[in-house]
Formats: sequence, structure tokens, C-alpha cells
Amino acid sequence: MIAAVRFKNFKALRATAVQLAPFNLVLGPNGSGKTSLIQSLLRLRTLSGLATGPAPALGDATPGGPEIEFSFAAPYADIRVALGCNTDELVCNLLVLDAPPGADARRAELRAKLQSIRAYLFDHYAMAAPARASDGAELASNGGNLAAVLAAWQANHPAAFAALQAEFVRLLPEFAALELRPREGGLVELGARLVAEGGHFVAAENLSQGTLYQLAILALAFAPQPPAVVCIEEVDRGLHPRTFREVRDALYRLSYPKDTGMDRAPVQVIATTHSPYFLDQFREHPEEVVLASKRGAEATFERLSDRADILDLMKETHLGDLWYSGILGGVPDGGV
Amino acid sequence: MSIPTTNNPLPITAPAGPALKLAILSESPADEAALQVLVRDVLKQPFTLVQASLRARGWPSVEQVLPAIVRHLHFNTDADGLVVVCDSDDSPVHTPAHEAPSYHHPLCRICRLRAAFRRTTRNLPPAHGRQRVLRAVGVCVPAIEAWLLCGRDTSVTEQAWMAGQESGQLPYTRRDLKWRVYGTERPTLQHEMRRAVQEVSRWHGDVRRLENDFPNGFGALARDLRSWSEGRAGL
Repeated sequence: MIAAVRFKNFKALRATAVQLAPFNLVLGPNGSGKTSLIQSLLRLRTLSGLATGPAPALGDATPGGPEIEFSFAAPYADIRVALGCNTDELVCNLLVLDAPPGADARRAELRAKLQSIRAYLFDHYAMAAPARASDGAELASNGGNLAAVLAAWQANHPAAFAALQAEFVRLLPEFAALELRPREGGLVELGARLVAEGGHFVAAENLSQGTLYQLAILALAFAPQPPAVVCIEEVDRGLHPRTFREVRDALYRLSYPKDTGMDRAPVQVIATTHSPYFLDQFREHPEEVVLASKRGAEATFERLSDRADILDLMKETHLGDLWYSGILGGVPDGGV
Repeated sequence: MSIPTTNNPLPITAPAGPALKLAILSESPADEAALQVLVRDVLKQPFTLVQASLRARGWPSVEQVLPAIVRHLHFNTDADGLVVVCDSDDSPVHTPAHEAPSYHHPLCRICRLRAAFRRTTRNLPPAHGRQRVLRAVGVCVPAIEAWLLCGRDTSVTEQAWMAGQESGQLPYTRRDLKWRVYGTERPTLQHEMRRAVQEVSRWHGDVRRLENDFPNGFGALARDLRSWSEGRAGL
């Protein structure tokens, strides 16, 4: 949906742009703009929900201030959206949305989609805790209401819950089923039943971190009404490298629904990682990899497929090893 | 551990017994699923996996991890043999010329894997009643999807690939092959495994066509595997 984002003086992103694909894996050292990219999308979401007045020129409204400009894929390619930010680089309060005459319906549609942009950084402690049952409308940014979301699916979207549960027990065959238990005070507790030990119930607080992270990713991948854009920070967090292929598959389910036989709009995914092993999963699709590099205080983005020599470089070395070596960029400065 | 003597050498072929014990090293669970069927079809006898879930992350990690795996199997298991299969990607295809004594093509993956095997096993003392772990090495040209299309898509053969390498006009890409087998460039692992087993089961145990169309990459593997059985029959 979002075709490109162009940054000017936004944090470390002084003058750079990134083309976005249906799926995007963003890698780079700390402070290279990965999170800033996601923050810009979240700010876009927030401002797109507010009423807009006449569009001023950004330069006039925030002279010398940061600017972020978004362009979109069809059918929104002729709509330009930009954010103007305070010069302290922290707050973007101005939204400019230019659409050609007669595009009101598409503009409204785009605004609705922008408001469904979501970003996640999962926290296994939060996910393990019982959640308020009434909070199950959609997954919170830290996954903290996972139990409530799954309980809501079980009640209102049983097919989605069954599909998620089937995938969960396939990936973790020691478990026979997920279970949601009501608790006092309107809470609901998540757990899983073991295949062995007489079907013993394991409460979420006793599930491994990796199990909870996998479950959270499945909750995104199998959501009955997914958002238009999903950003996931540290997508490999807590997971065994051998599960990365399955994680990639789950995320592709969002971005390429037709490939798994689903008839719904694709979800644009932007995921970040620091794992060379996770990067290895994208050997066949370097066009889905964005490297964020930092030189001094300035960060830039580069799509891996824009390197003319990338296919030759990959002939004798893993993609992850190439990245780690530094020849692709996207590694810390200063000999670290 | 028994010590071999010149009068009582330990076997270097598969021991007599009800089932071979072997390990498979490949690049993915889907490759391994297909290989289990193919190995059974070539050996024409049952086998048991002694070390499930060996995995390499693709080339060059197959070559890098192979010595450690061979040592591990030799000393820590009673495996009779190790089957190693990887993709050729764009590397030179193994040919009969490479089979000449003392010949080693520095870029051919079969030559390199065999050399790694040789280097590793050369000075290992006997263990678990055998001289060494047997070796079976194959390379999918250019990827396992080519094997899966064998007989279904007659344009996909080692000969076609080698002619393409020579002319600089490759007849297909890895992406093409994936599309032809899976119907998508982004198959799930589950779909890959299902399709891999479906396709290799299509031959009902007769791998002659596969050996004919892929005489170097698959043929080398089949010949290695048969040599195990032949040695065993001669015991």
C-alpha cells in the first residue's frame, strides 16, 4: 500500500528514502533509523485520523523542520501525504494530504487504511498475564491482551481460532490445544494443554518466551480482520533459528494471501531484525530486504536488490554472513 | 571399541543386518522428506535414521559443517552411512571427467564434499565396529525442484542446465522451478514438504528416469548408495 517514504531532517534520517514492497525486512545497526521508519508510520496513522484543514506548504509551516513524505501504490498513487514536524524532531503535528479533484472517495478510503497501521514489539511478560476479557478487539502493541484476543476469536471467529490453533500445535507438537480460562474480575487466562501428561494445562506464565512470541506472530498472521500495515520490531525475538522459516511463512501469509489460498487484501509488513539467520530466509527475495546504514549521525536506507552485484555476492556465501561481514553496509560504525 | 588387525579388518562397507542406520544432511526439511523416499527407493531396503534433523543452512555451510558431522556420527553414533545432498546453484556440474583418479574440481560441489569427507575420515580410528562412516553425496542441479519435475517437465534436465551454462543462456531459474513445482515463488515449508513427497512418490520406487535425466547430481548419489549395498552383499 505504501510505496515509498522520503525523509528530510527526521532524526538520523537527514535525506533518504525507502521504497516499500508488500513485505519488507529492515536490518541495520542501532540508531540507523529502523524504529524511526516505524514511528513515522505510526505518526501518519495518528494524524490521518484527525480532521485536516487547507493544506499549507510544509516549508512554510515548519521552516527548516523535519519532513516526511509518503507515496502510495495504486489505486492511491496520485495522492501525496506529508508530515511536518517540530524542529526538535520529536513531534510531527502537521499532515498535508494532496489529492486530485474528484478523488474524495479514494482519499477517505486511504485515510481509513492509514488508521489501521499497527506496530508491535512483543513482551512475553505482558503476553503471559491474564487480560481483561473485554479488551480482545485487537492485539495490543506489546501483545499484552493476547489472551483476550484469542478468547474473542474463539467466541466470535471460531474458524480463525481453529486455524491458529491448528498451526500452533503443528509448530509445537508437544501441545494438543490452546485453552482460554475465565478468571475473576473479568479476566481471561491463556494456556496450552500438553499432549502428554494426561493433557496437563500449562498456564501462559509457564510457557516459554519463544512459545509466546510464536503465538503472537500467529495471532497476527491468522487475524480475521488484519490491519492494512503491520510493523513488527525484532521479529526473531526469542525464537530458535530453525523456526525462522515458519515465521517467514506466517508473515508471507499476511503479505501474499493469495499464495496460501486466501481471498483478502494483502497486508503490508515491515519487520526489523538483527539476525543474520533470519536474513538468510530471504536469499530468494533480496528485493524484500532493506538495509539501514549509519555514517556518523546520518542514516540512509538501501534496498538490497538495488545492489547490482548482490546475486554474484550470494553465490558462495550466505546472505546473513555477507551482511555480517560489512560489505553490504548496515553494520555498526567504528570497528564494532 | 574393538581394535582392528590386519587379519581382522573392520568393514568399510555397510554391515550385514536388518536395516541400515544412516543420517541425512540436507538444506531443508522439504529436501530431507524427499531424500528419505529417494534413498529408500535406491537402496531397495529399509533404513533407520540415527540422527534426525541434521541440517545445513545451504551452501557453503554444508561443506563447513560436514567434517564435524562426520566426526560426530563416527564416534558418537553407530551410523553406517551419511547421505549429503545440496543444491548446485550456479556452480559447475559434476561430470564423468571429475571421476578420474586424483581429479578434483575446485568449484564442483560433489568434488568438494567428497574431499571434505576424505580429509575428515582419513585419520579417524575405527569406532563402533566399523572403519568409517559410509558416504553418499549428491547435488541437485540446480535445485531439488528440478528433481521433483523429472518426467513431468521434459525441459528440466542436467543436460539442459549444462548446455545453458555453456551458452550463457540458462534454460530456467530457481524461481522458475519453484513456480512450476509449488505454483508460487513463496511456498510455505509445509507446502514444499507435501509437494516434495508427492512428486518423488510419483515414480513408485523406480528412479531410473531420475538417474537418466540427472546422471551426475542424482546419479552420483545413487551410485554411492548402491555401492553400500553391493559391498554389503559381498560380505
